[in-house]
Amino acid sequence: MSLLAILLPGALPWTSAAAVERAFQGPYIENDDLLVVLVPRSPEQMAAFYEARGFPRAAIDRIRQTCFVTVHIKNKSRDIIWLDIDQWHFTGNGKPLTRLDDSYWRDQWNDIDLRQASRSTFGWTQLPPVRDLQPDEPVGGNLVFPGDTNTLTIEAKFPAGADRQGEPISIGFGSIHCSKGADNP
Amino acid sequence: MNSIARIACILCLLAMSQAAPAAELPTGVMRVDGTPAPALQLNNLDGEPYDIADTRGHWRFVHFWASWCGPCRREMPTIQKMLPLLGETGLEIVLVNTAETEDEVFTFLAAVAPDLVPLLDSDGLATDVWQPRGLPATYLVDPQGRIQYQALGGRSWDQPAYLDFLRQLRPAATATPADSR
Repeated sequence: MSLLAILLPGALPWTSAAAVERAFQGPYIENDDLLVVLVPRSPEQMAAFYEARGFPRAAIDRIRQTCFVTVHIKNKSRDIIWLDIDQWHFTGNGKPLTRLDDSYWRDQWNDIDLRQASRSTFGWTQLPPVRDLQPDEPVGGNLVFPGDTNTLTIEAKFPAGADRQGEPISIGFGSIHCSKGADNP
Repeated sequence: MNSIARIACILCLLAMSQAAPAAELPTGVMRVDGTPAPALQLNNLDGEPYDIADTRGHWRFVHFWASWCGPCRREMPTIQKMLPLLGETGLEIVLVNTAETEDEVFTFLAAVAPDLVPLLDSDGLATDVWQPRGLPATYLVDPQGRIQYQALGGRSWDQPAYLDFLRQLRPAATATPADSR
């Protein structure tokens, strides 16, 4: 099944806003094959999360300068569906946008000599770049963007089938707002 | 009479074959290729050393988790409840906390699963070697040390489908030492 839907936060074409508020913390798209939920995070939320896990001030400062969006995905189909972030396209402030991936964070952590345990925890909180999602398999994690991103759009293509030869599933989210938080409006 | 008996026997066999369908895996449990399990040598929360190779001959339920992970927090109580429901199966429960401190692990488990004593992968490197698909992750390692099943994401291990599945995992009569060292 192929589906292209641009979903504005608060505009929910397939169910009532109340139902979504009850079920999820952010905009979502659900069809017969996939459930995809996005939860934009504020710098304060992310700082609090990593501070509580013992991350040092230098790491928190770098985390605060970025925009986190937590993504939850579940394969509802009876076939393999591929999460492959290279197949996703992001725009920020109307221009193509590159997410801050593992190599960016590796450089950041090397700069501040972050301890291995924190690197591991940070890594496990990120959305994996590639995953052959089996039927009923969930996956979740963060996508991170530059901190000067205001409004974000995501167009996500999910190849289908073990050999990726099935009809891909395409979905889109528009007008995701990077929360700047109280100390960085 | 003989032919009637033969027909009856055939019908009986047919009925038996239909009454014993191929074993169905519970939702979210995937059969994998039997690759040898990586080494796992860590200290537990009480400071005692553990080596998975020492438990060969038993099925091992190897579960990676962290207290910050929402699905892990929901799943852990079901593992606690699973233990008395399983009964005497010989299944070895191996919980591996990924990259948290003793205090974080103790505080979390004391509230939701006080009977469980996890291993501490303090720097997260042992978890990396196993390459889980995410946290939580559960592997079922056979008595010969091969990964035969993997659970995808968090599962309700105290539910009948999972309990029945785990109960049918039998210890080997004679185990071949194949665990990695």
